[in-house]
Amino acid sequence: MKYTSRYGLRLGVLRFLVFGLLLALFGQLWYLQIVGGETYRRAAVENHVRDVVVPADRGRILDDQGRALVANRTVLRITVDRIALSRQRDHGTAVLHRLAGLLRVSYADVRHRITLCGKGVPQPCWNGSPFQPIPVSEQADPMVALQINEQSESYPGVSAEVATSRSYPRPSQALAAHVLGYVAPISEGELSTLSTEQQDIRRNDVVGRAGLETSYNGLLSGRDGIRRVAVDAVGGVTATVSETPAVSGDDLLTSLDAKVQAVLERALGLGLARARSFGQPAKTAAGVVLDAQTGHVVAMASYPAYNPEIFIGGISAADYRAVTSRKAGVPLLNRAIQGEYAPGSSFKPISVSAVVKEGTANFHDTYSCPSGVTIGNRVFHNFESTSLGQINMHTVLVKSCDTVFYQFANHDWFADQRRIKNGQPPIEAVQNMARAYGLGQDTGIDLPSESGGLIEDRASKLARWKTYLRRNACAGAKRRPASDPIHQLDVENCTDGWRFRDADQANENIGQGTVLVTPLQLAAAYASLVNGGTVYSPRIGAVVRAPNGRIVRRIASPVRGHVPISARLRADIVSALYDVPRAGTAAGAFGGFPLDTVHVGGKTGTAQSGLDTKYDTSWFASFAGLPGKPAKYVAVVTIPQAGQGARAAAPAVRAIWEGIFGVGQAPAAKPSQTSGRRP
Amino acid sequence: MTTLADSLVALRGRSSMRERLRMRDTVVRRFDFLLLGSSLTLCALGAVLVWSATRGPAAISGTSPTEYLHRDALNIGIGVMLGAVTMVLGGPRLRRWTPGVYLLACALLLLVLGPLGATVNGSHSWIILGGGFQLQPAEVAKLALVLSLALVLGEWRATPEGPGTPEVLLVLGLAAVPIGLVLLQPDLGTVMVLVFTVIGVLMVSGASRRWVVALLLVGVLGSIGVVQLNVLKDYQLQRFTAFLHPGTDPRGFGYNATQAKITVASGGLLGVGLGHGAQTSGRFVPEQHTDFIFTVAGEELGFLGCSVILALLGLVLWRGLRIAARSPDPYGALVAAGVVCWFAFQTFQNIGMTVGLMPITGLPLPFLSYGGSAMFANLVAIGLLESVAIGTPRRVR
Repeated sequence: MKYTSRYGLRLGVLRFLVFGLLLALFGQLWYLQIVGGETYRRAAVENHVRDVVVPADRGRILDDQGRALVANRTVLRITVDRIALSRQRDHGTAVLHRLAGLLRVSYADVRHRITLCGKGVPQPCWNGSPFQPIPVSEQADPMVALQINEQSESYPGVSAEVATSRSYPRPSQALAAHVLGYVAPISEGELSTLSTEQQDIRRNDVVGRAGLETSYNGLLSGRDGIRRVAVDAVGGVTATVSETPAVSGDDLLTSLDAKVQAVLERALGLGLARARSFGQPAKTAAGVVLDAQTGHVVAMASYPAYNPEIFIGGISAADYRAVTSRKAGVPLLNRAIQGEYAPGSSFKPISVSAVVKEGTANFHDTYSCPSGVTIGNRVFHNFESTSLGQINMHTVLVKSCDTVFYQFANHDWFADQRRIKNGQPPIEAVQNMARAYGLGQDTGIDLPSESGGLIEDRASKLARWKTYLRRNACAGAKRRPASDPIHQLDVENCTDGWRFRDADQANENIGQGTVLVTPLQLAAAYASLVNGGTVYSPRIGAVVRAPNGRIVRRIASPVRGHVPISARLRADIVSALYDVPRAGTAAGAFGGFPLDTVHVGGKTGTAQSGLDTKYDTSWFASFAGLPGKPAKYVAVVTIPQAGQGARAAAPAVRAIWEGIFGVGQAPAAKPSQTSGRRP
Repeated sequence: MTTLADSLVALRGRSSMRERLRMRDTVVRRFDFLLLGSSLTLCALGAVLVWSATRGPAAISGTSPTEYLHRDALNIGIGVMLGAVTMVLGGPRLRRWTPGVYLLACALLLLVLGPLGATVNGSHSWIILGGGFQLQPAEVAKLALVLSLALVLGEWRATPEGPGTPEVLLVLGLAAVPIGLVLLQPDLGTVMVLVFTVIGVLMVSGASRRWVVALLLVGVLGSIGVVQLNVLKDYQLQRFTAFLHPGTDPRGFGYNATQAKITVASGGLLGVGLGHGAQTSGRFVPEQHTDFIFTVAGEELGFLGCSVILALLGLVLWRGLRIAARSPDPYGALVAAGVVCWFAFQTFQNIGMTVGLMPITGLPLPFLSYGGSAMFANLVAIGLLESVAIGTPRRVR
């Protein structure tokens, strides 16, 4: 029997077709899995692997006793991913409504928070990166966070996570806002300088924007970790593929003493109150306390201050306006290093150093202190035109006689003019000495945006005149009527403004006019008087400590130079300054202070702050220590528009010494006994 | 025509023991073990792949990770029994019942379009039976069509010179009813399977070349039409996914096709190992345990595993073709040829869509995909093939 079917041929065709189809499948499989496999494997990996940034804990900032000035706290942060929302059909309206209900806020509030700031966008809005999940709540209830995470299908694009944010524990009520600075989310501009890979990793970073947070950002920030996770099609995490752990930032131990810092901050308030009680406007103040022997900063404060917490999670525009408002005194400014003020008589120890070193004067000779001295065609008077007769340098400093310095200025200026006439360079002894004390230049402190101040000499005045003095003066001369008193000045400056006149030198010798210093510069200069002449570049950071307790680095204040005067002269000046609170211009402010228990020296300063204000800048630059030892601390307080140094700044410094050494009580607010003296 | 009785008579004949053993022709010896073995191996492989595809989502939804494995095993068990019954009932009774099966299929297809039908993935193709059971009439239609074609072309209107134009028109008319009803669901994948089965059976039965070429042309053009319609279908599927998982990014048209391709290709030569597929456990491919089951094999078993699956499917098709070629009666040969056409095209369409050769349509992969109706239909079809095989006397070499 022949079984070959009648359909044999046709079945052959079918067999051919069937196995042809199978072969086609086989060929395509070969092509996909063997030939092109690598490409698709990569696509698959991109598909289901996500890099999650594990933010590193930012290091803390501690005071010298280990008290945290800046720490971290854990918050439950609810964020909204704008990109995920935009992919939803209704652009996330439904999700945001649900979220608003959960957070018990209005829908409009949530919507506003995730709207990118721009022209005409009302507050609050988001001024960070649009690619970054935007925080809508930092203080979420744990139940709310749980609900969001468990019902992720109902809240696509919304996530709740444990995050850390900066906290300011304020030990002893010390704020130190200007020193500590603040952090803010990284900006698009900063991101754009990074590689694409780094951009993805650092998109949620915060960076230091001021103060120590900026200077030590690299050490504090640590290194973010990356967790590579497998995700499913809806973005749910199914497994951790690999993990590079985050490395916490190092702690910064500073030389700040929270107690002293608190004392200083209170003392500035006291000085301001004192000044206002005399009818002075006194809206701002600055103070600094240095360890004279090491050059480290023990306390630094500026008034008005601000609350650094307003910067957490991005500052609102209203808050930003407030901290930069001129009317409010620009609270963001750290006047201890950014405020430039004429030092007034607190500059005199530097003048004395110069004239004695140059041989213009001898510390132990006597000089006449008339009520006035004629310089050029003008008579320069002592404060309230007092005359003290023949006095030695010690008394000159204690009583702060100006006319003696005018005479020295006259002598030096004419000597320099003669040298110029003879083709020699001028000596400009006071200016050189000021620079040797570290004035007129950045101290190099470990804080950003320091101001340099000004020590004017012939060259710098010419340069200033060329760059802007001439232009301003000539324009002013044309604009103002001849009857205006400033018109005459403008006409003169337009043609002769470059001249460094004898009057300029006279003003400079008593720290007026074209001498501008920061409180920190003056403190560093005074420290050199009691530490053997070393001018430090002050440091706030003292020790960098890894999270495991290992000391990474010890920070010493670098030495910037030595003041080129003899130890003898230095001792003479210091001895005179020790008499200032006892018998000199600060005697009133220090009435009743146990000067035998705590040795306090210092110099008052009362500086005219320019043509347009009748209120003087009040200074007291001081050092103090226990008897028989070199002074340990230097404290400088500056209160602009506060009148005499003895009346506002000196009482503030007294409060600082009382706080540090634990002695006495600030005297009752009574008019100073030094009213008869120019400080 | 050889029957079981004939062979038993032959056994009683006087021969030497050796000769008798050599000549022995029993039901057992006629039975195609290779066909049964390869199809059951495919079923087992399918169960494992279904387990791998469903254990992740099950773990998330809180059901047992082996839930689908158990159900698939149950389907296979029921399917094997249905197949055995089909085989035992054999040719004559099935022939008698064929018109009934055809009418039943059409009735069910009508029913599914009514209020009893349920819509899944945009197709109105399920009848919910209650108790967790549901029936897909399209699978019944495939069986009914194969049997009806064989009955008409292999027996009722069988002519030695093959079907003439009246027969062809009769067949087309008969086929048009279920095809039209399936098209209304719309289940384009099944329509294509039915169309190509009709063309295949007509060709094998000896229809004139002109008819075959003309119908093939219509079939191919129709397929291109499906490709065009597929844009809509793909979109619907996506909308469905987006509805279930709002977090899914609708990455434009062709998301399923792209993901399926990526998943298959990422397996490479040896695959990432059973249960280790990140694409699979990540549920990147929708409908992975049913229509896209082959992507699991692609990712986790690699080129080697896929080749084994293709080889087993090839084996089933080869045995089917062999049974068709050996069947002494036209009806049996056409039943076998019909089953081969159905399996071959459905396999090509299903695997083809996962590897980017064919457009996405909703079709299960024979034996491997999860799904009761399809599993039953496939195993009943194997029963049909076996019944043809045991109706064919052993060829004596």
